Amino acid sequence: MRILVSIDDTDTMKTDSGEVRGTGELAQLIMQEVENRGWGKCDPITRHQLLVHPDIPYTSHNSAMCFEAEFDYNKLSYLINFASDFLTSESAPDSDPGLCVAVNDRISRPGWLIGFGYMAKNIILTKEQAYDLAEKLDIHLSEHGGTGQGVIGALAGAGLRLGGNDGRYKGKLKIKNEDNLITAGEICAQGKIDLVKCLDEGITLNDDDLVILGDHIKPVRLYGKSVLLVSRIAADNTRPQWQTCSKKQLKDF
Amino acid sequence: MTDKSEREFSGGKEDWDVAAQLAENCSEFKADDEDEIVADEPVSCYNCRFRRWTRDSFVCCK
Repeated sequence: MRILVSIDDTDTMKTDSGEVRGTGELAQLIMQEVENRGWGKCDPITRHQLLVHPDIPYTSHNSAMCFEAEFDYNKLSYLINFASDFLTSESAPDSDPGLCVAVNDRISRPGWLIGFGYMAKNIILTKEQAYDLAEKLDIHLSEHGGTGQGVIGALAGAGLRLGGNDGRYKGKLKIKNEDNLITAGEICAQGKIDLVKCLDEGITLNDDDLVILGDHIKPVRLYGKSVLLVSRIAADNTRPQWQTCSKKQLKDF
Repeated sequence: MTDKSEREFSGGKEDWDVAAQLAENCSEFKADDEDEIVADEPVSCYNCRFRRWTRDSFVCCK
């Protein structure tokens, strides 16, 4: 079965007196543990931006981290117990961590969960609203310290991941190539990217379209896939016509 | 100033040049996690772990 694991609000503002692990790093460690213990096989983590508003007590950027996994149903309670203990012990002091674990095909109203995710990007939501929806949809939602406010983002992150059209993947991608030139088909053949698309025009590149690789290769999540966005650099038929998007161009994903 | 009396960067979220210049001259700059990097200039207030995003811009927490 497929599951969603989403966490939020595990860190505090970093100080130079000590390193604080970010939410993405904690999600990565949970993911590694799932695979090391043989509980399941995980897909890459996505980061989902939520609303930044003066009335929301986020740390510095208010984003949730989520991954999907093909998971052994018999181990579900082990995962929830492990992740709960892990967040309790590893989250930063003064943080407000939340954990969401959802079984994809048991979500009776996926649209409600996806809708909650998009609401969390646009309006202020409450813990009560999050718990109420999680109960209706039989989704595990729990808090592990502080105010527990992170349950809102954790549930929203699961919804946004499930929706398939939000967020950017954690980490930078390495694509093997020579001289930073590669075709869209070769990019997809390496297995980490499903589609290469133009950011502005929305078109999907043909397999033989040449792409210049920048130093920042980060896929985003669109259509439920890992999508590498590129921008056009030449309007005529001189090749190559495309280059990977910069950090600035991807900041709103 | 924000509603919480914090000093907010007046350039908003798209003043890439000034955010980079400020960070170049700041002894407190420290790059945030890779997943939170948004400016192409490696040293930029927009990429600093001590910035806290606000609705319209960011505040410096140092």
